[in-house]
Amino acid sequence: MLNMKNVSKIYRTDTVETHALREFSLTVEEGEFVSVTGPSGSGKTTFLNIAGLLEDLSDGTYELDGRDISKLNDKERSRVRNEKIGFIFQSFNLIPELNIFDNVDVPLRYRGFNAAERKRRIEQSIEMVGLGSRMQHLPAQLSGGQQQRVAIARALAGEPRFLLADEPTGNLDSQMADSVLDLLAEINAAGTTIIMVTHELGLADRARRNIFVRDGQVSDNAPELHLASMAAG
Amino acid sequence: MEFGPIWRAMMRNKGGYLLIALQIAVTMAVMVNAFAIMQERSKKMSRPSGIDDANTFSLVSVSFNPELDAKTLVQEDLDLLRGLPGVANAVETNSFPLRQGGWSEGLHREPGVGKSVSSSAIYFVDEHGLDTFALNLVDGQNFAPDQVSWDSDSPDFWPATVIVTQALAEDLFPEHEGSYVGKTFWFNDENPANIVGVVERMQAPWPTWTGIERSMLVPLRRESEFARYVIRTEPGYRDELMVQAEELLSGSNKDRIIRGLGSAEEARKLSYLGDAAMIKILSFIILLLTAITGLGIVGLASFSVARRTRQIGIRRALGATKPAIVRYFMLENFLVSSVGVIAGGVLAVGLNIVMVQAFALTPLAWYVIPVAMIVLWVVGQVAVAGPARRASGISPAIATRSI
Repeated sequence: MLNMKNVSKIYRTDTVETHALREFSLTVEEGEFVSVTGPSGSGKTTFLNIAGLLEDLSDGTYELDGRDISKLNDKERSRVRNEKIGFIFQSFNLIPELNIFDNVDVPLRYRGFNAAERKRRIEQSIEMVGLGSRMQHLPAQLSGGQQQRVAIARALAGEPRFLLADEPTGNLDSQMADSVLDLLAEINAAGTTIIMVTHELGLADRARRNIFVRDGQVSDNAPELHLASMAAG
Repeated sequence: MEFGPIWRAMMRNKGGYLLIALQIAVTMAVMVNAFAIMQERSKKMSRPSGIDDANTFSLVSVSFNPELDAKTLVQEDLDLLRGLPGVANAVETNSFPLRQGGWSEGLHREPGVGKSVSSSAIYFVDEHGLDTFALNLVDGQNFAPDQVSWDSDSPDFWPATVIVTQALAEDLFPEHEGSYVGKTFWFNDENPANIVGVVERMQAPWPTWTGIERSMLVPLRRESEFARYVIRTEPGYRDELMVQAEELLSGSNKDRIIRGLGSAEEARKLSYLGDAAMIKILSFIILLLTAITGLGIVGLASFSVARRTRQIGIRRALGATKPAIVRYFMLENFLVSSVGVIAGGVLAVGLNIVMVQAFALTPLAWYVIPVAMIVLWVVGQVAVAGPARRASGISPAIATRSI
């Protein structure tokens, strides 16, 4: 499903070149729940940005569903993001002026669904995250956990092939974090591929596979060793 | 279209939007009414005078020799002027249209003391007046030479025949149908005048007079040390003949001075100087207000883009294309502008009603408000295009950055 080969990402200024990813290679199969961990500055977020088509790669190849992403123009990349990828962000990234219904509606409008289809999907996904009674509420009227559930509902409403979660529990207390992770596990069990970027080792255990990133590369060592070494360090 | 969510989002943060909508409304109200005034002034300025403005000029002879025979001098001057190559005709008269100075008279439909029913500008001319002014005679005939007299030879002063404008005839005899030739009215309630001809148009000398279209030619020559000559030239000869005529008359008799040389076009321009200035000032005000409104929209949109940088990145991450981001801001502006122009339309009509009542302004033409709405919509869309384009350049990767 997702296949990155020797992907590099270099940020350049007039005087400095920063290699955020170096020869980064990763394959994720359909239906997997993969966690991507690593220390701060290791390139996790850069990987997520490239995987989610939020940024261009500098070198290498990236295929999503067998399609070479590096050859797509901005409009095509937007369409792939909209149709195939669902995003869950650390800070929820809900639009504060829009109520829950309208927030979930945002990607569906870009998809071009008619009003009835959008309504059906919005209600279904909000019900699924257990916030059916809060559709007219503004994000500020919800708790952090509820806001993240809305973000998940927004990500799911378009029925994406895979979810990209960026520190999805980073702003939540442990009880809310567990509830969100349970929800992600349910979604994965239903067949959606999930890639979750996190620096919390405990969360990585909830994934079926853990990828450890260091210095912009996937580490060859087994995840268990990393966890053990990180715990020891 | 995202009208619903955009509108709801705007309603939750409406301060800035309301201010811009109010600015648009005020701009529109002022713009529409300023335009109505401009239109009225422009219409006033473009009214035909009835004479051949482009080829007509005038000059004045003022004699300072009390022994001079005015009748002889005037006749000699006219002979000289009419003999100039390129001169179509010339007449001695007291004034001409839009000169801003002339003679007017109250008119009566019946003899005897009573209130005048109309008034008219008076142009004293001989039988050359009709041709010199190039008037369009629509009924009747010109004066015969024997109908023209000198005021010194005329005990009643007012001659018995006149040529009137169509507007004056209609004003004098509103109930009459058919030809006005042969109809009689009275000067100063005691001197009858018979209409022998009707001309299509000849304006009075006063541009602001409400009865500007009412005037008449009176076949009377005035014996005076002061003589105004109006000369019509063949097309293209006016400017050179103005110089020649002045030199000719100056040279023909040294006991007088020649002054007041000027074309009918110049007189027309002078008489509408205030109107032309008003049009320029109002045009400037309209442009200034529109520019200020446009800048206000640019400012609000720029602020909005800066404030919502992250939100725009999120929208991009969720699948918005660059044109979709541009469209979002365009639609937002369209909604603000729509509120502004609708409120502005109501305000403009209200202001116009007040101005019509207070200043006798012509009511707004039906198309002015729709045109103003379109103009302000377009100004809004143009103003917001830059900030919207900048917004579309915001990277979707901003969505994953920590605050």
